[in-house]
Amino acid sequence: MTTGRVVHAALHLLDRQLRDRHGGLCGKVDDLELERADDGTWYVTAVLTGPGHLLYRTGRRTAGTWLGKLITHIESSSLDDPGRIPYTHVSEIGITVDLAVDADDVATFAGERWARDHVIGHIPGSRHDADQ
Amino acid sequence: MKRFLGVFLGILTAIGGFVDMGDLVANAATGARFQMTLAWVVPVGVVGIVVYAEMSGRVAAICGRPVFDLVRERLGPRFGMANLIASFSINVLTLTAELAGVAIALSLAASINYLLLVPFVTVLVWLVVWRLPFSTMERIFGLLGLCLLVFVVAVWQFGPDWGTLWSAAADPHVPSGETPFTYAYFGIALFGAAMTPYEVFFFSSGAVEDGWTVRDLNENRANVFIGFPLGGLLSLAIMACAHLVLAPHDIGVDQLSQVALPVAVVVGKLGLAIVLVGIFAATFGAALETALSAGYTVAQYLGWPWGKHRRPRQASRFHVIILLTLLAGTVIACSGIDPVKVTEYSIVLSAAALPLTYFPILVIANDPTYIGTGHVNGRFLNTIATIYLVILVAVSVATIPLMIITKAGS
Repeated sequence: MTTGRVVHAALHLLDRQLRDRHGGLCGKVDDLELERADDGTWYVTAVLTGPGHLLYRTGRRTAGTWLGKLITHIESSSLDDPGRIPYTHVSEIGITVDLAVDADDVATFAGERWARDHVIGHIPGSRHDADQ
Repeated sequence: MKRFLGVFLGILTAIGGFVDMGDLVANAATGARFQMTLAWVVPVGVVGIVVYAEMSGRVAAICGRPVFDLVRERLGPRFGMANLIASFSINVLTLTAELAGVAIALSLAASINYLLLVPFVTVLVWLVVWRLPFSTMERIFGLLGLCLLVFVVAVWQFGPDWGTLWSAAADPHVPSGETPFTYAYFGIALFGAAMTPYEVFFFSSGAVEDGWTVRDLNENRANVFIGFPLGGLLSLAIMACAHLVLAPHDIGVDQLSQVALPVAVVVGKLGLAIVLVGIFAATFGAALETALSAGYTVAQYLGWPWGKHRRPRQASRFHVIILLTLLAGTVIACSGIDPVKVTEYSIVLSAAALPLTYFPILVIANDPTYIGTGHVNGRFLNTIATIYLVILVAVSVATIPLMIITKAGS
């Protein structure tokens, strides 16, 4: 915990848009990891993102856990778990939640990379701006 | 000139919403069957879409957040997902009908079986999505769609007794031979067509694509106040044409070709050519609107990079979703299913999902942390918007039972 800022987790964090350190869109806050201090206060320790966490939160717990593990397994990321972004890596909470990591390190980007390398990248014109 | 070209996002959105494949037929069918007794629904729908599209455009311009982003944030993952599934299915169904509609419009000119043209139309739609800049796209199809104004010309040339036409429109009643249920069912179809959710998905995402900022709020207003009333006017003109020309001869409307018939009768060959261009542009525009909306809704729900303003490589999943949606639409359209029936069902189903889309817009348009205290809704706007929300809930509850009671209006 770097700061002790009080936020209403459900209102200010959950389901917000995540942006990486370059301002790129990189998923949503799908769930939160909380820890209880000795005095009984709950602290947010990590932002959880990716389809696994989304499924888990909407009640499909077995499928969610399984999918989360699969993503961690296939993902190459500088984070230990690309679906779990420690709260110390959160740089700002506004109408979006801004992270101090690259989009490439976040769980939801595995799908983006796959679609880029296996589908879209093969179609002529995929590198160009629309007006070029 | 730039100001003039700036309103085509609103015009394309409205044409794609009000006079797409299903609505062209629904408007004409309503005019032929109910005369002008349901005309009052159109202005009611226009006011509703103007109010909510203005809010969605304002939010998008100020904080860069399109509608489905807000849906997820305000409704949470479960209701957001329910809305996503409903909206996505409606998008696929509508896209199916539009692809068939474009193909039918082409086949009327070229005398080839329209089913053979569907794959060709799909490729054209995809090429526009893949390559054409957003603003060029909205100008081309918005401008060509204005050809539908020939329906207004046709009403004018027919030279009806305006007093009788007005008193017919100003006197809503259930015509003899119809039940209150069929009357309500067709009313909901007209209202649902005016307020189809993909209009706000497309309009607010288009505002982001066009790079609107807080300085473009006047442009937002101009788009909304010109585009949607224009859509409503076209809708009424098509209805009036069918009422004046077809109803006296007991001709019902259940095909696209019959929609163009009154114009051919009144204005002649040139009119027919213009109306075919207009129908082509409107259905093609609606195909673009629904294909892109399919990508917008999924990407915005899951927080992916999206949009035509990015290179396709930088929004890969967004483009994959559009490709898959187009593929699904093409397969369904090629199965030979009646495209008019498809849109009738999709309009009515979308009416059932309306509140889930419009409620979050109203909430955010009142939240100063998103758009600043200077830009939140005033009391007058909130009063109208709340009244419409009540109407939307009532409509969404009544839709499915009415569909069952009337056997989908038959």
